[in-house]
Amino acid sequence: MNITVCAKQIPDPANETSYDNGIIVRPEEQVLDDTDRYGIEVALQLKEKFDAEVTIISMGPAGTMKGLQQALQMGADKALYVDDDSLKGANSLMTANVLSELAKTTNADIVIFGTESTDGYSGTVPQQVSRFLNLDCISYVKAIEIGDDVSLTRQTSEGSEKVKMPQNCVISVTAGGVEPRYPNFKDIMAAKSKPIEKVELSTLNITAEQNLEFVGIEALENLKNGEKIIDEGEAFQVIVDKLKELKVI
Amino acid sequence: MKTLILGEILNGTLSSGTLEIIKKAQDESLDYQVVTIGSDDVPKIGCESFKQTYIKRSSESLQFSKVTDLITKIVNDEGINLILGSSTYLCRDLISFISVDLNSSPVSNVIDFEINGDVVSTINSINGGESLYKSNIESDHSLLLIRPKSFEPADVELNDNFETIEVENSDVSIFDIYKEEKTGPQLEDSKVVISAGRGLVEKENLVIVEELAAKLNAAIGGTRAIVDAGWMPYSQQVGQTGKTVKPDVYIACGISGATQHQVGMKDSKFIIAINKDEEAPIFQLADLGIVGDTLSVIPKINQNL
Repeated sequence: MNITVCAKQIPDPANETSYDNGIIVRPEEQVLDDTDRYGIEVALQLKEKFDAEVTIISMGPAGTMKGLQQALQMGADKALYVDDDSLKGANSLMTANVLSELAKTTNADIVIFGTESTDGYSGTVPQQVSRFLNLDCISYVKAIEIGDDVSLTRQTSEGSEKVKMPQNCVISVTAGGVEPRYPNFKDIMAAKSKPIEKVELSTLNITAEQNLEFVGIEALENLKNGEKIIDEGEAFQVIVDKLKELKVI
Repeated sequence: MKTLILGEILNGTLSSGTLEIIKKAQDESLDYQVVTIGSDDVPKIGCESFKQTYIKRSSESLQFSKVTDLITKIVNDEGINLILGSSTYLCRDLISFISVDLNSSPVSNVIDFEINGDVVSTINSINGGESLYKSNIESDHSLLLIRPKSFEPADVELNDNFETIEVENSDVSIFDIYKEEKTGPQLEDSKVVISAGRGLVEKENLVIVEELAAKLNAAIGGTRAIVDAGWMPYSQQVGQTGKTVKPDVYIACGISGATQHQVGMKDSKFIIAINKDEEAPIFQLADLGIVGDTLSVIPKINQNL
């Protein structure tokens, strides 16, 4: 079985995102998006059962490749990435187009994603990739049970539903569905010798186009900075009084 | 501009997200029709004032790709230029699929838009709602995913008069369905929301928030951090990738207020924040801030209500 996981390198989320002409500024050193750890974990659990090869695919400025290394440290076997200046500020459709073409080069049976990236959070790429690849999309998977068959539990607006994992499909995994593993020292050392390969954009068949024109970013003044009280044991009373005043009780 | 609104059904009628988009379409005088996707037998979704087409799917199989084919066909047959859907599980899927068919990238997390001639201009909220990001769509088709609560819901009379298209089953069968019991106040429409964050230290401490919620008839939400930690289901996550809430009173318990959380709650009318860290960003949004330990303050409130 070939399992491909899409993973994204993002600026450290502890820092505020900055923009240049509408495009997120990316430092040389980016980290693995925590969202993707859930997808990688699902892939590794499938690998343990079905003896699969797990390939990470990624698009964006490669930089120091710390994020890709982190994905390999978790236990993925290799990584492929596309890094091309012409993709700077790529919209979600173009991103999905590149990733689906990359997935084709891995002969993926199963393609796995997190539900949305922490920096761009458009939340549409997994579904778009499935449509490009003409595969069923099992989105918002929040639990996985691996037996002889694999059953996937999807989050829906009303609750959840279970489906049997098709042999070929795209899966998006929500945060919290599985517990991503932490690499130990041995895993970290082993990742250093795993292959990371650059794929030239020109070798891929890209049909999507840029269709969004950046107009501007406007700062809002919406900070209330209301009354702040240091609790010395009696601050609860202020809240109780306020709740009464607001007629909540 | 010829517009298609993707509709969803909740409790046998159009969801509030759908009604909010209909209101915006009315205000912008768009030439709109609604295509609603659901599995109810006789939903109340028809209306005298717009064309409604019901794509009825089975609850026993995932039929996304067939539903998408039907919608793309309607878009092409009817010369639709603008396609609108709410940022829900279902519409996010459908708009993404359709975007590939129409070769036009969608815009997610839209909080407002306007039409100037043939150009659709969108506004997104970024950095936790501290800034607005504006762009123009340069395609024959514009696809927008709109955050719930961006507009007031339309006040329309609904009936059961509409055309229905049934969808064939697909190969992916759904073999088990679980409906979350929606007892008590729901996040989206509760007047009071209490949210919990890491400051509660461990899952067992959620009980103090539950007790307060019961006393105030409030819905309970959580940050991404505690949802990731498995304290609460994803459906209770408030924030960028979760729900947007706008209650009369929002009580943030042990939440530092990362921008991803702020975007889901900053428009609440009155915000009370309790956090140990005086510098926590949540205090900038709060009308009333208590610098203190949630684990000590909340039980005292519970005892005194």
